[in-house]
Amino acid sequence: MAFQREKALEVKIGKQASGFETPIASNNERTVMPVTHPKVETKASDVVRVERRHHLLVRWAHWLNVPILLGLVLSGISIYWASPVYQHKPDPQTRNTDYVADAGVWITANVPGLHHYKSPPDWVYNHFSLGTFLLAPALRLHWFFAYLFMLNGLLYVAGLWLGGGWRALFPRRSDVRDSLSMMRYYLGVPLTLVLRRKRKHPPHTTKYNALQRLAYLSVPVAGVLAIATGWAIHKPMQLPWLAAIFGGYDTARIWHFWLMWFFIVFAIPHIILVIADGWDTLRSMVTGWSIKAARADELQGR
Amino acid sequence: MSAEKKDDSLQREQSAASGEGPEERREEPERVIETAKPPGFFVERDPEIIAVSRRTLQNWTRRDLLFFGAGVAATIVGGGFLLPQDTLARLGIHGNTNPPGKERFLNHAIDVDDDVAEALYSKNRMVPTYSKSDITFLKNNYNGATPGPDYIPGWRLTLEGLASGLSVSLDIQSLLTHFPQHQQITRLVCVEGWSAIAWWSGLRWSDLLRAYPPVAGAKWARVDSSVNLDGDGNPDPYYMSLDLATAEHPQTLLATHYNGEPLTVEHGAPLRLLAPMKLGLKNVKAITRIAYSAERPRDYWAERGYSHYDGV
Repeated sequence: MAFQREKALEVKIGKQASGFETPIASNNERTVMPVTHPKVETKASDVVRVERRHHLLVRWAHWLNVPILLGLVLSGISIYWASPVYQHKPDPQTRNTDYVADAGVWITANVPGLHHYKSPPDWVYNHFSLGTFLLAPALRLHWFFAYLFMLNGLLYVAGLWLGGGWRALFPRRSDVRDSLSMMRYYLGVPLTLVLRRKRKHPPHTTKYNALQRLAYLSVPVAGVLAIATGWAIHKPMQLPWLAAIFGGYDTARIWHFWLMWFFIVFAIPHIILVIADGWDTLRSMVTGWSIKAARADELQGR
Repeated sequence: MSAEKKDDSLQREQSAASGEGPEERREEPERVIETAKPPGFFVERDPEIIAVSRRTLQNWTRRDLLFFGAGVAATIVGGGFLLPQDTLARLGIHGNTNPPGKERFLNHAIDVDDDVAEALYSKNRMVPTYSKSDITFLKNNYNGATPGPDYIPGWRLTLEGLASGLSVSLDIQSLLTHFPQHQQITRLVCVEGWSAIAWWSGLRWSDLLRAYPPVAGAKWARVDSSVNLDGDGNPDPYYMSLDLATAEHPQTLLATHYNGEPLTVEHGAPLRLLAPMKLGLKNVKAITRIAYSAERPRDYWAERGYSHYDGV
């Protein structure tokens, strides 16, 4: 019961404290009303303005992607082991043809403490995949996670649609200039940290800045491409046209391999930046709302 | 909208936030601010800002974080359940981590993919064919040692599960003389990921099916190679299940020639299956027996964790 009463406290923009609704809920102009409820006396200091930032389905899809992509990458590298895309002529001593195995040999030879690793060529596979000689279990897990990934993609698209968030991802004309100033800002961050100076974040009045838009739009695009190239190499005889789009069966495998790298390369700055940005940003992907965003909105006087 | 109006709304917003707005302002009726024109379909909407009590927010956060934590815990347990035993052992989790439900669950997952593959398959869809300039090297990928060649002189193909109820035994000469030869340059795709384009010729399995019809109700063929060897060179008979819909495909050959020459032992002399719409592991080399049945026969690689259908 207490929960219901508290829920009633939530007052949407455009609604009066007295309970009237504004005749026109405008998109460009919003008025903010005192947030008291007729039945419950609340002090203004007890009320927080928050922005509803991420639709529930987007949050679900975002977090489901973590184990799904992890499962796809781990099983994918175990599948890669069975027939590496990138091979060289057999090494006269080890008969090895796989660059990834070479990397394992190099790492165990040069990283302190790894000299006695029992199978140097397997080092990378043993640390970044399910392991070697596991093609059958890796394929089963890869199909399992691949179907989940496709369903999750549908969930994400539904969330983007229902939350209207897709509009925030679309590029706009000013993005070229704005992404340059964002890049200048990010490149300057290490210097400002060293000099212990504060630097102003380039202003943006949209949900995301230009670089974020580019990054967050490229994820669903890469997801679609990863799924398409996956089907192209999974069913090259029934869907030969799909493989042909990507330059044939062998080229589609290379596409699929590098699309995996896209997700890995995306995740690294993604995680660093969310940690740098702080708890509010991370929490907003769990709870959906953000205090910081609402405050920024206030400061910009919108 | 004018700057004046904007100031006004800003002022009210500030007074609302601080909670110190003049009393009379609160009693004013809401002023309706009309937009000049609705934003375009593609124009980003303004954020939805809600005012909510601090306690509610705390409750929401607690609830959502609890759900999130439960999800993380479930994922870790589920991941532990799904990972292969070898992988878990490397992560320091020993003991029996292969409960019977795991195999059943993963087999079910692969059955879903097999059903999709079967729905995609059409007997009327031809696989892509290539020209001679596209031919690539095809390695001998016998899982164990390469058998032969001593089995070749006495080789015969046995047909069982026929409508006649008889068991038929054929030598390579009768297969070559009684059936029209067909050739094709197609890609063979291995489950490992590599593929090779090769020029094959042989008889169509569909012609053999017409000459020796299978028993009524037969849906499957079991293809055997009794001469197959394991890695140490010991006998390791190979058996494979194939759906008759694939056997009837016009590009499914019982191949006798590879790149214009009779098959060598490396490529499955004297008769091998060439079904390019299936993974290489279904393309049995050195076939010695074909048996038709209504029930799905055993399959060497399916028993080792691979798919049953293997359609590509």
